Amino acid sequence: MSEVKQERKPEEFTNRDYQAGFITDIDTDTLPPGLNEDVIRHISAKKDEPEWLLNWRLEAFRHWQTMTEPHWPNVTYTPTDYQSISYYSAPKSQADGPKSLDEVDPKLLETYAKLGIPLREQEFLAGVAVDAVFDSVSVATTFKGKLKDVGVIFCPISEAVRDYPELVQQYLGTVVPTGDNFFAALNSAVFTDGSFVFIPKGVRCPMELSTYFRINALNTGQFERTLIIAEEGSYVSYLEGCTAPQRDENQLHAAVVELVALDDAQIKYSTVQNWYPGDENGLGGIYNFVTKRADCRGARSKVSWTQVETGSAITWKYPSCVLRGDDSVGEFYSVALTKMRQQADTGTKMIHIGKNTRSTIVSKGIAAGFGNQSYRGLVRIAKSAEGARNYTQCDSLLIGDKCGAHTFPYVEVKNPSATMEHEATTSKIGEDQLFYCQSRGISEEDAVNMIVNGFCKDVFNELPMEFAVEANRLMEVSLEGAVG
Amino acid sequence: MSASLQHIRDEAWQAFEARGLPTTRDEDWKYTDISRIQALLGDQWWQSAATEPCDAASFVIAKLDAYRVVIVNGHFDAQASDLPASVSVKSLAAMIQDEPEQVSELITYRDDAFLSNGIVAANSALASDGACICVPDNTRLDKPIHILNVNSGGTTHLRTGIHIGKQAQAEIIEHFAGNHNNSGLTTAVTAIRLLEGARIEHYRLQMEAPKQCHLGRVEITQQRDSSCTLHATEIGGMISRADVVVRLQQAGASCTLNGLFVAANRQHIDHHTRIDHNAPHCTSRENYRAVLDGRSHGVFNGKIVVAEGAIKTDSAQNNANLLLSQHAEIDTKPELEIYNDDVKCAHGVTVGQLDQNQLFYLKSRGLSDDEARQMLTFAFADEVLAKMSNQAVRRYVEHAAFAKLPNISDLEGMLG
Repeated sequence: MSEVKQERKPEEFTNRDYQAGFITDIDTDTLPPGLNEDVIRHISAKKDEPEWLLNWRLEAFRHWQTMTEPHWPNVTYTPTDYQSISYYSAPKSQADGPKSLDEVDPKLLETYAKLGIPLREQEFLAGVAVDAVFDSVSVATTFKGKLKDVGVIFCPISEAVRDYPELVQQYLGTVVPTGDNFFAALNSAVFTDGSFVFIPKGVRCPMELSTYFRINALNTGQFERTLIIAEEGSYVSYLEGCTAPQRDENQLHAAVVELVALDDAQIKYSTVQNWYPGDENGLGGIYNFVTKRADCRGARSKVSWTQVETGSAITWKYPSCVLRGDDSVGEFYSVALTKMRQQADTGTKMIHIGKNTRSTIVSKGIAAGFGNQSYRGLVRIAKSAEGARNYTQCDSLLIGDKCGAHTFPYVEVKNPSATMEHEATTSKIGEDQLFYCQSRGISEEDAVNMIVNGFCKDVFNELPMEFAVEANRLMEVSLEGAVG
Repeated sequence: MSASLQHIRDEAWQAFEARGLPTTRDEDWKYTDISRIQALLGDQWWQSAATEPCDAASFVIAKLDAYRVVIVNGHFDAQASDLPASVSVKSLAAMIQDEPEQVSELITYRDDAFLSNGIVAANSALASDGACICVPDNTRLDKPIHILNVNSGGTTHLRTGIHIGKQAQAEIIEHFAGNHNNSGLTTAVTAIRLLEGARIEHYRLQMEAPKQCHLGRVEITQQRDSSCTLHATEIGGMISRADVVVRLQQAGASCTLNGLFVAANRQHIDHHTRIDHNAPHCTSRENYRAVLDGRSHGVFNGKIVVAEGAIKTDSAQNNANLLLSQHAEIDTKPELEIYNDDVKCAHGVTVGQLDQNQLFYLKSRGLSDDEARQMLTFAFADEVLAKMSNQAVRRYVEHAAFAKLPNISDLEGMLG
């Protein structure tokens, strides 16, 4: 009998094309490339911003000019020319201001349909309010009325600046100051839009809030600004998902996300990120340089970050928690997948300041092909953090002998009553596990898939239901070529 | 001095002058500020000499039957030393006179590593003496060699070279000691080379005087099937740092690093280790523990790098830290850098105080709170020391380590 079965190694599945790669052709009102104070004044004027915000932006810009781009992460990329980026791009139809979905450009709706985000269906079926960001300006926001009834504000941040200036002024930049880092300063100067969420005292937000970001116009850096405020005793779960069309030029995405949790408040922030990762030679793809930070100001507040990162050529972000309030809790659950030439340097920072603060970090990294990924985390337990507790677990799974997985956990403890544990393992998919599955009649691809899903389970369990399904599908699609 | 050795020394000196001492802005020195050294020892800190004599005899390890190389204030003391016959042991100073080529090789133990940072460069340029040990192929040293470096303050630059031939075996105790009240700095670079099938058990005992600073570096290069066990204990000194670099260059090599540091008062102790897995089928084990009391500050940084092609690597690293006081601080960073999928790597870190349940258990058995604490602290630290195969050295280190901790009263009773 002749051997007909073809040996397929898991690595062979790695190179699956990006499935959400298409460009919608819509007229955009785009500024010419370049960055100076006039550009910032222009953005500010376009958005009818008050004087204080313009000054805030200019201050950030002046500070940014004195800063140099940091190069410490474990990634390599061609530097960005900040003068060759256009800093403002809005879909033309926005000028007329669509009041409902019916007024929205049908081409936009088509784009969302292609991505599997049928806005209107979601209204009815999933019960999710979607604040869809197409390029930089929010186009449609649903379920606003229902949220308004309970006092929840969920709107584009530019709208919030107009309608609730005192709230925005009170909180904007208090978690991530304008001069925090190079990219945060840039974002503060030129951010065009993003989401604003305010949950008043004692309110449990009746639905999951969700925003789909999508980068569309060529050569437009995306500078989103998200601000979520949870007042005393409130609860909100916020979802963020991303996908972008295929193109060759690298695109910079430098978003800033600020979360504020007051006494007894809880914020759950989930991200599924699937931006264009570049082709198999590392050409193109998104640079995802994001600053995300939560400030647990109140006692017994809780912030939970969950992220599934499968896209972007370079991911460089550390969703962090400043545990200021006594008994506050920070959580970080992450799955990061790098394949082809993708690179990721991601992790979290848990800054324990209050008494009896607790944090949990679970990070799962999967590297395939030529992918390189690093977990970089900081657990700092200040002298005042009596009885602080941290548990960290970071596991890496390697598929193929050309990829890399790295771990750089920083641990700084200044209080003896703190208990801190860190564990990390790195391994490949066990041959005996694969063999066992295959001996039960499961194909190699399915077996790999199954093992990877098991590997990520701790994190997926933390995602809201709708997202968990999506994340599972995303992993399968990404790994279909890749691991599964 | 031959031209080539002089040339290397000059190059090192230039590198030092250009770079100076590392600062806390260097990622590798983020937590260890050695700028104070200059303030303590003056502008010419690298050549401040010791003024008092010192007595090496008081640092002999009890019940240790060993050959002895004694270096006092950076100069070999032939009279106090007792050298083996079967194995070549020379002082660096003598070799600079007689065999400069060998010294050049020792200083440039690999490529440009002798210039890798300001401290190593200064040491390369200025090293005055040290032990050079060469164990020939297929030889087993019958007794350990005790290299005793004593000082009475001031700056000394020591360079030690250890070469273990094929299938040869040795046990070496590198001991830094002092008993004085002067400020000073010891820089000590030790290069160890293990040929095929060589074995070494190396003890590094840093027990400097309380005001002495110590900046040490151990570079280990291992060939096929060689095995290295390093026991690194940092107990003395005011600011001390030890860099251990192990390079597993050929298949089947294995290394074990056991480290303990015990710090009290305002001591600052830093341990940096790096293990390079450059060949397949190599094994490494690392277990470092720290006990911190008073206002001491401990730093641990353990890095494991698995190169592309180093398949079947098996590596495990563990770092446990015990904080005994409200003001002690630990900064630890266990790093993994892996470029290969066929590996088994794990690391773990814990930081904490004594376990309340364990304390309760012991107290329920009738021990006082103090006794219970002492016993648990001792057990925590002794897990590392118990791995020392030389019992005389182990006892010696236990005494030195626990004598520092104020709440250990009945040490003898515990040691049994």
